[in-house]
Amino acid sequence: MIESTLPASICPRCERLVVPPAPRCPDHGTAMELASVPNTGEVVSFTTLFSPPEGFRSPLHIALVELEGGARLFCHGEETKGVKIGSRVSVEDVNSVYYFSNMGFADRARLFWRRAGARGEKVAAISKSLVQGLLKGRSSGQP
Amino acid sequence: MTLGGREPDNDCVADVWISGAGMTRFGKRNESLPDLIAEAAYAALTDAGIDQPDALVVGAMNPEEFTGDGNFGSLINTHLGLAKLPALRVETATSSGLAAFYTGFAAVAAGLHRNVLVLGGEKMSHLATPRVSEIIGRSIDPHERRYGTTMPALAGLITRAAMHKHGLTLREISQVAVKNHTNAARNPYAHFQEPVTLEAVMESRVVADPLRLYHCCPISDGAAAVVLTSSRAPVRVAGIGQGTDSIAIRYRSDLTSFRATQVAARAAYRMAGFGPERVDVAELHDAFSSFEIISLEDLGLMPAGKAGRATLEGETALDGRLPVSPSGGLKARGHPLAATGIGQAVELCWQLRGQAGARQVAARVGLAQSIGGLATNNWVLLLEAAR
Repeated sequence: MIESTLPASICPRCERLVVPPAPRCPDHGTAMELASVPNTGEVVSFTTLFSPPEGFRSPLHIALVELEGGARLFCHGEETKGVKIGSRVSVEDVNSVYYFSNMGFADRARLFWRRAGARGEKVAAISKSLVQGLLKGRSSGQP
Repeated sequence: MTLGGREPDNDCVADVWISGAGMTRFGKRNESLPDLIAEAAYAALTDAGIDQPDALVVGAMNPEEFTGDGNFGSLINTHLGLAKLPALRVETATSSGLAAFYTGFAAVAAGLHRNVLVLGGEKMSHLATPRVSEIIGRSIDPHERRYGTTMPALAGLITRAAMHKHGLTLREISQVAVKNHTNAARNPYAHFQEPVTLEAVMESRVVADPLRLYHCCPISDGAAAVVLTSSRAPVRVAGIGQGTDSIAIRYRSDLTSFRATQVAARAAYRMAGFGPERVDVAELHDAFSSFEIISLEDLGLMPAGKAGRATLEGETALDGRLPVSPSGGLKARGHPLAATGIGQAVELCWQLRGQAGARQVAARVGLAQSIGGLATNNWVLLLEAAR
């Protein structure tokens, strides 16, 4: 399951989204309204801790992810191998902890297909995802 | 800007001077925190040539957790034999020292007191490292802390983002630690007195990828003190400013610069009536080596994306165009939390008075920058030698 949503909140004044939902907009102090956001986004940055705090396994992989719509959230991951700043990831909530996983080419293609299907633009989406897959594949060899 | 508030009007700020400065050697110390603070306090009072001030301000970040003692305003004024003097304790996480300085400055500038003794100290080396990290980590947003985010973890994320954005290299970041150790070797008050090589820094063990052990400041004990006064003295407080940002890193739009530093710098420069071009020497908050590079750019001392290269080329060395952290910085002079910001002011005071010994640089204007938490509550201080 790669495409679902996560609970969020939105500021009625500036439309800023935050995850998890917060009572007040960080920028305006305005009361926020409940919303939901797609669970896919890009890695903003990540690190691996080799002496994590008590109660966490070592090594501990932590990423800051920006979801579509702009909300950022911290996640744990199984590994950071192959992860880069800008990598496409999906985020899942497992027992109230967010986990990110790198979206492979097949996942991205399926996601484009599903979204395009709703809009009836399958052909365009397939070619777009193929091109993106090629570009990502080519750049993944870089350090 | 959102909820920025009105910019302060500085026309009515009266002149405030530093008449006394003193500090303990930073490092592993056996004395109690009140004893360390007393050592710094008497050094500053002696330097100022007074027996007692009109009031005390004590900066301390986590004395309850580190030492088990509380009520620090009263504990310290009583310990100093000054129990009848007004005393209060100020805290803005790891920048508590300059927060205390600001409080004392405001009291003198407002005419509430003529002489205020500003103190800062921390004692933590008696605890195990994981315990110290956990206590310091309480200054991180509670939700984000549930993910195991420690200060080094957040600094690791920020360092990677800065390397990605500006092409900053690990070599450039490592040179900050090398430079600061070189400076500390000339500072008898420093925690570390030995130089380190670039190779040793780059090959030290990984703490929070890409940050390595020698990119991180040590756990130090120590205290520092200044006497602020309304009468003319050799060093004047030219400007001081505070800047803040969300404690939640996920609410920030940029990881590679600190709004809290930028806002604090703007306020301090505005009060001083001059900009970064007049700064001759700086003491910066290199809790993690990459923070010195980010801070140089946030403060307008170097153009964006250029500070790493400038560091590698020696521009920030003792004999460089802009000496940065002649004391040895947090990395090598040490970082006893609330002592740090005041220790920076003490070092600048000595530099501006020509009393910095083997690490003396030519300077009329000095800048100190202190980062509270993960840049949630920062301070910038500008000191100027009296003409």
